[in-house]
Amino acid sequence: MIRSLLHRRGRTLLLLAVLSMASSLATALGIVSFSMEKRVAEEVRRYGANLVVVPEHSRVTVGSGGLNFGTVGEPSYLEQQVVEEALRRSGLVLDRSLHLGGTLRLGSADIPAEGVDFTEIRKLFPWWQLQGGWPGEGEVLVGSELAARHGIKAGSTIEVSSGGRTARPRVSGIVTSGGEEDGIVYLPLPVMQQLLAQPGKLTLVRLLVTAGGERLKEAGSRLTPLLGGAVVKEVRQVARTSESLLAKVKLLMALVTAVVLISACSSVTGTMSTTILERSREIGLLKAMGGSRRGVMLLFGGESLLLGIIGGGAGYLIGSAIAAFVLRTVFAASAEFMPLVLLASLGVGLSLASIGSSGPLLSVYRLDPVRSLRGE
Amino acid sequence: MLFRMVKNSFRRRPLSVIILFVSVAMGSAVATSFLGLGGDLSYRISLEIRNYGSNILVEPVAGERGGYLNEADLSRIKSVFWRYNITGFAPYLFGQAELSSGGKRERGVVAGTWFARQVITEGEGESTQGVKVISPWWEVSGRWPEAVDEAIVGAALAERLGVVAGGEIDAAVQGARQRFRVVGVVTTGGYEEEQLFAPLETVQSLFARPGKVSRVLVSALTVPMDDFGRRDPAGMSREEYEKWYCTAYVTSVAKNVEEVMAGSRAKPIWQIASAEGDLLSKLNSMMLLLALLSLTAAATAVSTSLMASMAERSPEIGLMKAVGADRLQIIAIFLGEVLVIAMVGGLAGYLLGDLLAGLVSRIVFNSTIKSTLWLLPTAVLSALAVAVAGSLAPLRRALRIEPVRVLKG
Repeated sequence: MIRSLLHRRGRTLLLLAVLSMASSLATALGIVSFSMEKRVAEEVRRYGANLVVVPEHSRVTVGSGGLNFGTVGEPSYLEQQVVEEALRRSGLVLDRSLHLGGTLRLGSADIPAEGVDFTEIRKLFPWWQLQGGWPGEGEVLVGSELAARHGIKAGSTIEVSSGGRTARPRVSGIVTSGGEEDGIVYLPLPVMQQLLAQPGKLTLVRLLVTAGGERLKEAGSRLTPLLGGAVVKEVRQVARTSESLLAKVKLLMALVTAVVLISACSSVTGTMSTTILERSREIGLLKAMGGSRRGVMLLFGGESLLLGIIGGGAGYLIGSAIAAFVLRTVFAASAEFMPLVLLASLGVGLSLASIGSSGPLLSVYRLDPVRSLRGE
Repeated sequence: MLFRMVKNSFRRRPLSVIILFVSVAMGSAVATSFLGLGGDLSYRISLEIRNYGSNILVEPVAGERGGYLNEADLSRIKSVFWRYNITGFAPYLFGQAELSSGGKRERGVVAGTWFARQVITEGEGESTQGVKVISPWWEVSGRWPEAVDEAIVGAALAERLGVVAGGEIDAAVQGARQRFRVVGVVTTGGYEEEQLFAPLETVQSLFARPGKVSRVLVSALTVPMDDFGRRDPAGMSREEYEKWYCTAYVTSVAKNVEEVMAGSRAKPIWQIASAEGDLLSKLNSMMLLLALLSLTAAATAVSTSLMASMAERSPEIGLMKAVGADRLQIIAIFLGEVLVIAMVGGLAGYLLGDLLAGLVSRIVFNSTIKSTLWLLPTAVLSALAVAVAGSLAPLRRALRIEPVRVLKG
């Protein structure tokens, strides 16, 4: 069988090339499609938290949506320990930021302030534009609007107080976001807790869960019973929009893949049929020499199988290389190794090989050796 | 004569011609649909990303405690240089009031806004503006306000006041009172849940600020920020400033809006603006690469079909050479056949590709795309180009065939 394939080297190579091309296309598109969804999901994380945890009867205090109205009603709190324990036990993969919001006195004015962990903030609020540097030990960030109003510059020291307790932190930087952050002073969480005399308390927790749609809701409901009375809310602005966008991207990729595959496969199948069909003389000769129908069919079937496997395998390698190139160029992501796609690629190679050879195999049945040898 | 040859070819080997035709048609269909989708796709995805919310905030220069913007200036927003990039805007007037309902009372925030209002811009026509346009993620259980005394309440506020859709809330501000009929409860997971939203005019009269707004949120299509866009326009030369102004950076669109709203300052909302720049450029590059990949594949598929069909016809070529045809004649005949098939294939491919592009657009984005007639010559020309490129190698090989060997079989 192998000898017969090698005998017609030119044609065999053509068939192999065609099969490899089709399966490499299938491979590349498959890998890129799967990865695309994950990559886009990573990109949309830049929009920030998709879940928030708030006390059951929370009230808006200051700086909500950029409104400076001062405290509206009595604040209610979350227990930091309970929250951290709940997050750990839920087993969810997420980024989080803990917040303690309140009002502090700066000079003669009441200003909105929040105690946060700055390492957490950098992950959940990647759009903050900083003038100066991120806070070190005991340092603070001041929102640009607030800084402009009170003449605060990066590097200066401010004095904030609450209920008799005072702090004099250095301002390491000014933050601009175009949102509510511009009117808030950000202090380290323990400092804020101490100033407000609310040790171990929080007003809000933001979560960025790696999940979407139904799985996000599921994550929320998994978390709720562990929180002892606090409420988990979906940040619809981020969660819903991301879900819808990802669904569209997935659908688009699927359609594009289908269109390209169908078109490539149709021409490949055609090419294969044409190339193999012209072997009718060989078939005739074999039959005339006494080969049984079954024998001849097995020979040709075996050839096709072999070609299909080799073509599919080669296609997988080429396709993976193409996919890796595309992913690295567009998303600066490392290559994905997807053995599952190998199966798909082999499948494509084999099915194309068998479809392509089905025509000639059929003709084996009906072939009259004499006529084919004569050249009709 | 060429057509006669093609017809003969077809009669003798119908399958071969059909397969060639199908390959070319499919190849140019893929090319057409991608090109047709391409530009439209970028636009559609940009619009999709607008659903994340407004990326420009317009405030009074004096700051939040004093100063207001004029409602009358709002209609001019859709007349700025970048007006076609502005997909929507909504004004807000905020104030605190004593809210009470069924015995419960507390201080709360009342926000006057437009929900879906027809705005007529001089010289530009009508458009719908308001919260429903720029904040599609608001979930309202009940319905949106229609009459002047109707309002929707944020979920958290509603829970504290014990109000549901169908109930009423009294708002009192320094002597003025307004009774709102609650027609819906809004859930967003954000600060909106702490506010009461009512038609702008009603809230303006409640706070005695007729014709005024506290801020405007604008949603605009923008291009990703780069180093040039990040520069301070104040320090640019005239040429640089024009280039900056004429590029749809979020900062320059903001500047546009600032110019028509008296006493305002417009700034980008970076949470939305910075994320979308990266997302958009990544998605666009991905689509481009994918298109190139597919086009290459389509061209390869066509070439291999051609090579296969050429190889099959070597006896014919041998025969022609034996009866005395010279190289040029042989080339002309075969290439001619291929070109005729390619032209028809290209046309068919264009029609199919147009259909496909429309189908994909409708399934994914629920929208139609305009039929692009200029793609027809492109499709046919590319089909011809690929056909010629694909036949060169096999043709050259075929020409070197010795007639005797081929005719003997």
